Amino acid sequence: MTAAAFATPRRVRTDSLVTWLLIAPAMLVLAGFYLYPTGYAAWISLTDLSFLHLRQGGDFIGLENYRSVLGSAAFWRVMWRTAFWLTAVSVAVRIVLGLALALLIESATIRRYRLRTVLRLALLVPWATPHIVAVFIWRWLLDPQVGTINKALVATGVLQQPHAFLADTSTVWAAIITIIVWNSLPIATVSFIAALQSVPRDLQEAAALDGAGRIAVFRNVTLPHIMPTVAIISMLLVFWTFNNFVYVWLTTGAGPGRYTDVLATDVYMRGFVDFQLGASATIGMIMAATLALFGVIYTRLLARRALAERL
Amino acid sequence: MRRRTMLFACVLGACALWISTAVAGTLTLRYSDPDWKDIRAALDQYERDNPGTKVALDRVSPADVMPQFLRETAVGTGPDVVQVGFVQVKDLATAQAVLPLDDFTKPQKATQALADYVALDLATWKDGKVYALPWTTDTFAMVYRTDLMQKAGITAIPKTWDEFRDAAKKVHDATGKVGFQFPFGSANGNGIWFAANYWWWTHGQALIVKKPDGSYGLGVTAADVADDMRYFDSLLKAGVTPKAMISVSNWADPVIIEPLVSGDAMSTLVPPANFKQILVEWKERNPNGSDPPFISALVPEATAPSVTHAGGRSLVINANTPDPKGAWKLVQFLSSKKMFSDYYKTQMPAQKTLLKEIDFGPLLQGYAEQLQRARSWGPYAEGPVPIPMMWNETARDFGSVFVGESTPDQAAQTLLAAISKNLK
Repeated sequence: MTAAAFATPRRVRTDSLVTWLLIAPAMLVLAGFYLYPTGYAAWISLTDLSFLHLRQGGDFIGLENYRSVLGSAAFWRVMWRTAFWLTAVSVAVRIVLGLALALLIESATIRRYRLRTVLRLALLVPWATPHIVAVFIWRWLLDPQVGTINKALVATGVLQQPHAFLADTSTVWAAIITIIVWNSLPIATVSFIAALQSVPRDLQEAAALDGAGRIAVFRNVTLPHIMPTVAIISMLLVFWTFNNFVYVWLTTGAGPGRYTDVLATDVYMRGFVDFQLGASATIGMIMAATLALFGVIYTRLLARRALAERL
Repeated sequence: MRRRTMLFACVLGACALWISTAVAGTLTLRYSDPDWKDIRAALDQYERDNPGTKVALDRVSPADVMPQFLRETAVGTGPDVVQVGFVQVKDLATAQAVLPLDDFTKPQKATQALADYVALDLATWKDGKVYALPWTTDTFAMVYRTDLMQKAGITAIPKTWDEFRDAAKKVHDATGKVGFQFPFGSANGNGIWFAANYWWWTHGQALIVKKPDGSYGLGVTAADVADDMRYFDSLLKAGVTPKAMISVSNWADPVIIEPLVSGDAMSTLVPPANFKQILVEWKERNPNGSDPPFISALVPEATAPSVTHAGGRSLVINANTPDPKGAWKLVQFLSSKKMFSDYYKTQMPAQKTLLKEIDFGPLLQGYAEQLQRARSWGPYAEGPVPIPMMWNETARDFGSVFVGESTPDQAAQTLLAAISKNLK
């Protein structure tokens, strides 16, 4: 008797029921913690709800908030800062530096001097530092009057007088990105180290025997092998950074002026300073939609990686 | 078996009784100023005087008081008594987050006593009910380092805004020290909002005015706003204020206080509690008994005399409190004469009679005079535009001028457009 003989319609129905029963708790949790808040935020974005009228509720105004937000030049400036400065630049810097650091830690020289463990432990320090602590340490370091960085730059003649890094539009984004990179570079580096360790040595040695130089081996053997990890880490960093509120708010409060105002700080200011929860939820929904796009790309990357591993 | 069940029920009942007693006798006070240790000491005394009552002290930053409390009250929670700014009371009443105090103050004596409080207009909502008890009052005044002024050959306190800029520049040029240490930052709860308004008020203008027909409108033109922006920008451009101050928003920040204590800055503009902090720290570093080289003075004037805001804190009772009477009793204790004489010495009471009894002394004389000239936020608080929105927008647009992102004319247009939109 074959297995197919057991797959009666009744058995299939029972299996299906059991499957649904088994995943029901997880689905309920997901619905309660994700779907309901998202749906509620979507509803608020269609109203004129004020923070002062939470008990009374807001009036339904259709897509007015979306028309107002998307039609405002200020919103697109905020979107540009979020997409370019906060996300693209900071993610690119972390990927490049993370990869460079991973290659350094995995290099023969570091192995020879047995420094890998020390370097790996050192990597954990910024990672283990809470965001708020990292920001306040850096604000102190960058301070023009008492900051060590300014003192060092003046002492070495790089600067003639202390520079207010967080008050100058030419340096404020560089300062914020430095803090983000310092605090979250280790996640990229550690992942790349793991990926580098999985590259087959015999492939690299075979390429070297065939006359390929170090750069050629890296470009043609190592990089293609670790590329799925690079792609996934890039996507994760985009998720974590695009909607990050803490770094910008604690470092500059979205200032000077509105120069570092990003989507997350705009959501906060519109909702809890201007009391316009409807407009605030609208920006939140736009952020969610943008990240959902990245989510689709991320899921496809994961699927492609799984397929490649199976083949 | 039955005995075990009985024992278990007894233990359970005792636990429930203990929890209910503990919860029933506990009040929570939310306080956001730095001198919380004085408050804790007072609350300890209150607990000793009222056996069975516990008061938990909850702290949040001043900028988070409103959003945090509004979020909590919307879902039926939050502390029983909260310290809020004078100008926040009407928004809290609008949100139905606080209890009207009229039921507590109905006895004639209490009603008469209410007239003794300053800024009662800001505690009274449009329904005519009083929703907060003014607790402390203050305003900003100028603080000068007299030793630095003498070094630069300045013998008189600057009277006008132009004289002030000239004096600060003179000190900066002669000593290399900072002329005016003040937070020019744009972040939430910034200080530039106050300075900008003082400039308007001393020029006979106001950002928000009440019109004869009872509606509210703008009391400044774009040119007035741009002039205000140009003045404060000129302090940065002249080097009188360090550019780094653009990234500082809080007047209580150590980077504002420290240069005054150490003699690296000639002047600042702060409330009395911060000046007292400067004096305490200076005395700790100079224990030889010499006179502190400070003086407090009026904010500069222009076409109109010096004027600042009548600021301060009120106490509100959460609409969700399970113990309104206990909360009111605590509010009465906190605003009692004993509280200010024994515990809360850094702040000034909001009762006019108690204010008259204060000996400001020569160093704080500027604050005594400035308080006489302080005005209520009046139309700002009564009008339809939330003060936090104007506060934030003003600082953002001033900030965009300070960093060269916008011209004063552009930034003034942006500011007025944003406020006009909310006035409709």
